[in-house]
Amino acid sequence: MTMSERQTLLRIEDLHARVEGKQILNGLTLEVAAGEVHALMGPNGSGKSTLAYVLAGRPGYEVTAGRVLFDGRDLLTLAPEERARAGLFLGFQYPVEIPGVNNVYLLKAAVNAARKKCGLPEVDAFEFLAMVREKMKLMRMEDSFLSRGVNEGFSGGEKKRNEILQMLVLEPRLAVLDETDSGLDIDALKVVAAGVNSQRSPERACLLITHYQRLLEYVAPDFVHVLVRGRIARSGDRTLALELERRGYDWVAGEAA
Amino acid sequence: MSSLNSALAERLAAEHAGTAAALGEPATSAETRRRALEALLASGLPTSRDENWKYANLRPLEKLRYLPASLAAPASAPVTVAVLPPALPDHARYVFVDGVLAPALSAPLDATAATLALQDGASASPSSASPDERFALLNAAFAVQSFEVRLAASCSAQIELLFVASGDSAQGASYPRLKLEVAPGARLALIERHLSAAETASFVNSTVTVALDAGASLSHYRLQDLSSRSVLFDTLSASLARSAVYRLHAAATGGQSARSTMKVRLAGERAELALGVAALGDRQQVQDIYALVEHAAPNARTEQIFRGIAAARSRVAFNGKIVVAAGAHGTDSRQSLKGLLAGPEAEIDVRPQLEIYTDDVRCSHGATAGKLDEQMLFYLLSRGLSPEVAQRLLKWAFLGDVIARTDLPALRRQIEARLAGQLRDEALRELL
Repeated sequence: MTMSERQTLLRIEDLHARVEGKQILNGLTLEVAAGEVHALMGPNGSGKSTLAYVLAGRPGYEVTAGRVLFDGRDLLTLAPEERARAGLFLGFQYPVEIPGVNNVYLLKAAVNAARKKCGLPEVDAFEFLAMVREKMKLMRMEDSFLSRGVNEGFSGGEKKRNEILQMLVLEPRLAVLDETDSGLDIDALKVVAAGVNSQRSPERACLLITHYQRLLEYVAPDFVHVLVRGRIARSGDRTLALELERRGYDWVAGEAA
Repeated sequence: MSSLNSALAERLAAEHAGTAAALGEPATSAETRRRALEALLASGLPTSRDENWKYANLRPLEKLRYLPASLAAPASAPVTVAVLPPALPDHARYVFVDGVLAPALSAPLDATAATLALQDGASASPSSASPDERFALLNAAFAVQSFEVRLAASCSAQIELLFVASGDSAQGASYPRLKLEVAPGARLALIERHLSAAETASFVNSTVTVALDAGASLSHYRLQDLSSRSVLFDTLSASLARSAVYRLHAAATGGQSARSTMKVRLAGERAELALGVAALGDRQQVQDIYALVEHAAPNARTEQIFRGIAAARSRVAFNGKIVVAAGAHGTDSRQSLKGLLAGPEAEIDVRPQLEIYTDDVRCSHGATAGKLDEQMLFYLLSRGLSPEVAQRLLKWAFLGDVIARTDLPALRRQIEARLAGQLRDEALRELL
């Protein structure tokens, strides 16, 4: 694939951001095109999660310089819910438990919010449920999950599978998955990977944020980037992840210093 | 204790004399009524200086008319079935308009298990009452009718009572008066609902007395949906004998100013109380709830849950006091009180109080007052929900702990619809 054929979905230019007065992102530049899977790796504290939250619009994450274009629009001027409706999805590293808010209510409200923006009528409840059940099968989730509170009392693995289920139901154009693989055993990892792979299509893209190379054995990325101290220190194809695994982050960090 | 100002005392006495004359009742009930008034005049009405009354709105008391509305000129429009909520399946229904039974609107119980008695005025009145029960004296002094439900041993019944306020407080007051007696092993499900026939500014002062005999069970749902200009003072006092089980669920959404005083005495060993209260305040509403639970016997249990949301400029208060008497060893009590502040000028007061006079008890309590959780909010926004829908969903979830305890599906749907209505959310209603 050459650059001219790529249809850019996300363009991050020289992004600087701080959290609670502390500068975390220091000139991050990254471009993700439709159809691509990018892996963003890096040591703890390098700014991976900060980037995810900045993209999703979490309050308290202050952009001090640079810009982000999503599908040609200035992403940073949009409210979090507008970003979601425009097709951006954040899979949380630590999904929030919301006791009392029913899982299926949330899914339905989320889908209807996106449909409303497109001028579409609300989903048919019956068809919607059938569609959700189909995707739950892929995620190996039991039916009882539908009536439970959002992430309420879920194990770590269940929470991550629930994030992927939401992604499958919402069918975002860009999924930013923040360490969705952390804390998963090998079986859960395979289920999550199958979910991510089922979403791959020429129209959609995925930014996989991960600390380890493990997930990338199951979801083959087109590009791998290493984030060090808030900027991309090195980019390459999937062999970069293997090299990182062998040589450790110090290798890149030392070069970037 | 406070005394009445003389102008109010004179007015109470005069309106009381007018009530007694209009009723022309037998000497014994007139005497009961008179004694209640005397006790009230001696003890006075509460003021905001009283410890357990500082969150209540007592200002309307100066201006209210105390004469029973049923003795005043008839309401402009008679109450019709149309203003009543849909009947619940398998429940007898009794409708009271301004505290007086309206047989035409009622669907009586056909079983003979329960004895129902309608009395003129109060059958008995304490010559004195604790400072927290002074509104019960007011009720005993003015109530036109008293409705009594007695359920025989090992029987069961399901009854819905609707207390409709139709009059304006300029015309007079409504004094619902209810007495429940459940014999050993009997089971009663009772719905007590207070509502308005129209957007009138009614004054309602109700009294409920509950006596549960050994092993008796009562599921009691109290729904307060009065019009937004109404004033309510209600007093409930209950006594539980050995192994009696009392499930008391209250949801307060209506009224301009409402105060609910509940006193439950666990008098017998292994008695059980589950008290769940949900209260919503909006505009400039005041919802004030005081619940006193007395553990007087060993090995009894209490579970108390309160969830209150104060929006706009409203005030929502819950004062939950649990007293464990000497000798009530093995007491197990749990309190979970949570308030949610949903408006910059709103006020939430949650106050757990525990007094323990014995060893060997398990008492836990938690009380929180705060705003919506920012992390939960952001999670919902990140899924595309608008801030309005996300906030309402979280408020809804906040009340869930209490609502989930309503085990009558038809009633639960009505409560949910009412709460969703109060939260002004059409989208939420669709989800139900």
